[in-house]
Amino acid sequence: MKYILLVFTLTISVLSHAQEKSTISGYVTDVKDGETMIGAKVYIPSIRKGAITNNYGFYSLTVPSGKYTVEFRMTGLETESIEIDLSKDVRFDLEMGSKTQMIDEVVVNANAEDNVKSTKIGQLELDIDEIKTLPAFMGEVDIIKTIQLLPGVSSAAEGGQGFYVRGGGPDQNLVLLDEATVYNAAHLFGFFSVFNADAVKSVNLIKGGMPANFGGRMSSVLEVNMDEGNKKKFGAKGGIGAISSRLTVQGPLKKDKGSFIVSGRRTYLDVIMKAAIPKSSPFAGSSYFFYDLNLKMNYSLGKKDKLFLSGYYGKDEFSFGNLDDNFQVDMPWGNGIAALRWNHLFSSKLFMNVTATMTDYQFSFKSSQDEFRFALNSGIRDWGGKVDFTYFPNTRNKIKFGVDYTHHTFTPFSVSAENDETVFDTGLAQKLYSHESAVYLLDEFDINENIRVNAGLRYSMFQHVGPFTRYIKGDISKPDSIVEYNKGDLIKFYHGLEPRISMRWMLPDRSSIKAGYSYNYQYVHLTSLSAVSLPTDVWYPTTNLARPQEGWQASIGYFRNFLQNKIETSVEVYYKGMKNLIEYKEGALPSDNVNDNTDNLLVFGKGWSYGAEFFVKKSYGKLTGWVGYTWSKTERLFDEINNGEVFPAKYDRRHDLSVVAAYKLSKRWVLSGAFIYATGNTLTLPTSWYVQNQELLFNYGQRNSTRMAPYHRLDISATWYGKEYKEKLDPATGEIIQVKKKLRSNIAMSVYNVYNRANPYFLYIDNDGDFLAGDFEITVKQVTLFPIIPSITWNFEL
Amino acid sequence: MRKIILIPILLILFAACTKEVEIDIPGYEEQIVIDGQIETDFPPIVLISTSQDIYAPTNLDAFLGAFVSGATVTVSDGTTSVQLIELCTDNLPAGTEPFVAEMLGIPEEELANLHLCAYTSFDPAIFGEVGKTYALSVTLNGNTYTAETKIEEPVELNEVFWRPDGELTTHGYSWANLSDPPGQYDAYKWEVKRINIDPTTGEERDPNFEENFSPVFDDEFFDGLTFDFAYDNPFTYDDGPDEYAGLFPLGDTIVIKFSKMDAAVYEFMEKKYTQLATAGNPFATPTNIPSNISGGALGVWAGYSPTYDTLACQP
Repeated sequence: MKYILLVFTLTISVLSHAQEKSTISGYVTDVKDGETMIGAKVYIPSIRKGAITNNYGFYSLTVPSGKYTVEFRMTGLETESIEIDLSKDVRFDLEMGSKTQMIDEVVVNANAEDNVKSTKIGQLELDIDEIKTLPAFMGEVDIIKTIQLLPGVSSAAEGGQGFYVRGGGPDQNLVLLDEATVYNAAHLFGFFSVFNADAVKSVNLIKGGMPANFGGRMSSVLEVNMDEGNKKKFGAKGGIGAISSRLTVQGPLKKDKGSFIVSGRRTYLDVIMKAAIPKSSPFAGSSYFFYDLNLKMNYSLGKKDKLFLSGYYGKDEFSFGNLDDNFQVDMPWGNGIAALRWNHLFSSKLFMNVTATMTDYQFSFKSSQDEFRFALNSGIRDWGGKVDFTYFPNTRNKIKFGVDYTHHTFTPFSVSAENDETVFDTGLAQKLYSHESAVYLLDEFDINENIRVNAGLRYSMFQHVGPFTRYIKGDISKPDSIVEYNKGDLIKFYHGLEPRISMRWMLPDRSSIKAGYSYNYQYVHLTSLSAVSLPTDVWYPTTNLARPQEGWQASIGYFRNFLQNKIETSVEVYYKGMKNLIEYKEGALPSDNVNDNTDNLLVFGKGWSYGAEFFVKKSYGKLTGWVGYTWSKTERLFDEINNGEVFPAKYDRRHDLSVVAAYKLSKRWVLSGAFIYATGNTLTLPTSWYVQNQELLFNYGQRNSTRMAPYHRLDISATWYGKEYKEKLDPATGEIIQVKKKLRSNIAMSVYNVYNRANPYFLYIDNDGDFLAGDFEITVKQVTLFPIIPSITWNFEL
Repeated sequence: MRKIILIPILLILFAACTKEVEIDIPGYEEQIVIDGQIETDFPPIVLISTSQDIYAPTNLDAFLGAFVSGATVTVSDGTTSVQLIELCTDNLPAGTEPFVAEMLGIPEEELANLHLCAYTSFDPAIFGEVGKTYALSVTLNGNTYTAETKIEEPVELNEVFWRPDGELTTHGYSWANLSDPPGQYDAYKWEVKRINIDPTTGEERDPNFEENFSPVFDDEFFDGLTFDFAYDNPFTYDDGPDEYAGLFPLGDTIVIKFSKMDAAVYEFMEKKYTQLATAGNPFATPTNIPSNISGGALGVWAGYSPTYDTLACQP
């Protein structure tokens, strides 16, 4: 409570200084296609005040009344200066980029100082065009794989989509697609992400110092915003690759008023498999493919209102058949996501966004053999809404506040089994219902010229409600007892305050020190029986047994740029503490979920992580790229695991290095490469063997006590761009002029794992032979997924 | 079940490759392993050994060297308590060879060549009886390990039958019909051997009962139900044509040994077969097998109450 008062007092004290002031506000869009520009800077040099456009391209800047030269800056575009009389409030929308074409290396480095000046600590924005020039696995440009190249972020395993931020689990990342939660961001057991880069406009990762407008996850926020579609003209783009192809169509709904974009993608591994597996083969029923579809529409309802509708639907279909055994498995899973948003300007100083979201993740597993049929379904469905306000009282303050509500329906396990005509008792389908809500307030304000603070408070609540069946496990030989809750019964209520603060202190040498602290509650958990991320991992809510995860993080960093901001550098150190983390009990099996509640099989513990991250980035010039290095340690402590002793998390990594570089050889050629080195993951292997009833059994030792060999890999790529312009005789002047070609294309060639490193995916103990014959042998085997893989993709734009 | 677990592996195998590596696996500690069982009408038999480092030598000498002599082993049914005697394979009382050979999985003719010792008793007072609970106590090097197991009331199969598989006419699975007793916990084990005469040796095909990949199940999903179920032929996976793997040919005669066990033994067995099916599989958590023996030993003290059915594989 004291904290809220402090924020208000500061706010009001700053407000009270207000004299004759005027506000300039509006939207910044791209002249080419009318797309809103996120992160464009609006700056008045004479008074050294500025603002940055938000996720909807809106800005608001309140200054003492007067005449000013206002600069609009955006990376990659020439700065535009406009004389504006601010004797009263002015609405000024700008289409940027009209003066110039895209500029290459001479670009004005508009936002380069942001990393030093902003209060953002532990935040990284990725340029989607930059991502597209990097080497791509099997030719599929992948946002999450690029994120894994950043310091403080590591991948689960080779090709894995689960990412770990500063020692937090993969469920601790809030992944948002146009403000709707994505529960499973992976296709094909995690080798590809659900984000189709052709439909993505911006990517922002927050790994520390999470502002109060985000919540529900402990470690990070990955914000992905979809393209809005071309408001000026119709167009298409796409690509044809070795295993997949994609096509995007966009255009105006009404010129300069509204637009749409539809983007689809499908792999054709199934077609290749069909060709490779002869019809006579017992495995002819096996196939795999995924597809996904992105859709977005937006429409301006006058100057003050805008509507956005975003949708995503994606599905993976895996099937395996063995005709010889009459055995068939089908495993479909997928996400459906929809978000409807309404932007409204109450005034030039008060911006509102209302969002309604729906997200649905379903997984099923169906198998049959002869007369035996088995099916398992699991899923989660959310309905949610939120209202966010941004208030720009003056140049020293930016205030955000809002409310957030989600209704969750979890189906962790629903199982059915039949044998001929006998239906087995597999218990009731587990379904859990809950309400999650939050209110927040944050203020970003300047204490003086050098110190800026972003302070906020979030109050979150979670209600586990009926209907619900609670199994109370008795002794193994006794039947369980059951407690039934009716619809609407409140089973458990949790709530908590989540203070967040980050601050930046500018130093005289144009460097800065930033520090951040955040406290988070997390009410949903991913339970995983396996050591690799699988669609069989199940989301499970907080219940009366499973408490919310809680975590706090403190970080401090030093930021400095060199060579006129051409080179950005930073060093950050962090410490993160976590409690109520979740693991399955030792020896738990998937079938234990039947006739039981999943949380009866869980154990709870705590964890901590600390580390240092070093980052050097060069964003401008012929050679661009970054070097990131992380030193970290991540440990866990559970009473019921590892005899109550501390053990390393499975993704505990001492060293993580990535070097990413792109070189623009000419207008037609871009070369790039990425090198990764990471300490090997930990795993639990048997320490001893013994014999029981003539069978060799293993005894496992300390949890995660064995470490695999280090992971390292080099990928390279070369992209060849076709000519963008053709020469044409202008009939009016008789001169030869440059005209943009209708079809522009490029060919991206890449090689994954250039030196064919056999990186460990997992290890297992193999035994072979016969004791009596004297040829018995126990060996440790390493499985490697991907050897050197070349790929080629043709991309086009109309 | 085994096949279901294999699927994800098959999926990734299209690009995967495997090689042997040498890696440090820290944390080995030697533990006592007790492998004991008592069956209706049979004497208790207990083998004691030590667990071995994963990189320890795996030749025959090492295997035999793992067995432990000199322990004091007693079994009690609550009223009668008997200290077991130590019997070694190279010095067995006449007539016990086939039983010991089956227990150890060693050909009868090899027994005399090996010095492998087990603890048992010939006192009929301690032979297994249905409904009794048997307590085991092992004292070795000053440490005592104890366990209890019950020989449960047996449940007989209603009938056993053979049914050709799918389109086939000459090969099929062994089937049974079971009525599970309602309102109580029941756990079962299925074993089989073929008793038709092998023309080359003139003897029964299989001297010993063999287990399937997943021979134990409990009634969690079918308490009180009556239903048919099938088991495959475990002898066919190593030899014989693939298309008939798991099937019994027309004309075979087999004996099905269908046993009941208590809940703690079932838990050991369930985890054991899970481990055998998943060891090293990254899609499963490492499964340690929970022993029902207190005092820090690995292994199990298991009581079984088998019933036997003979099935002639005829339609």
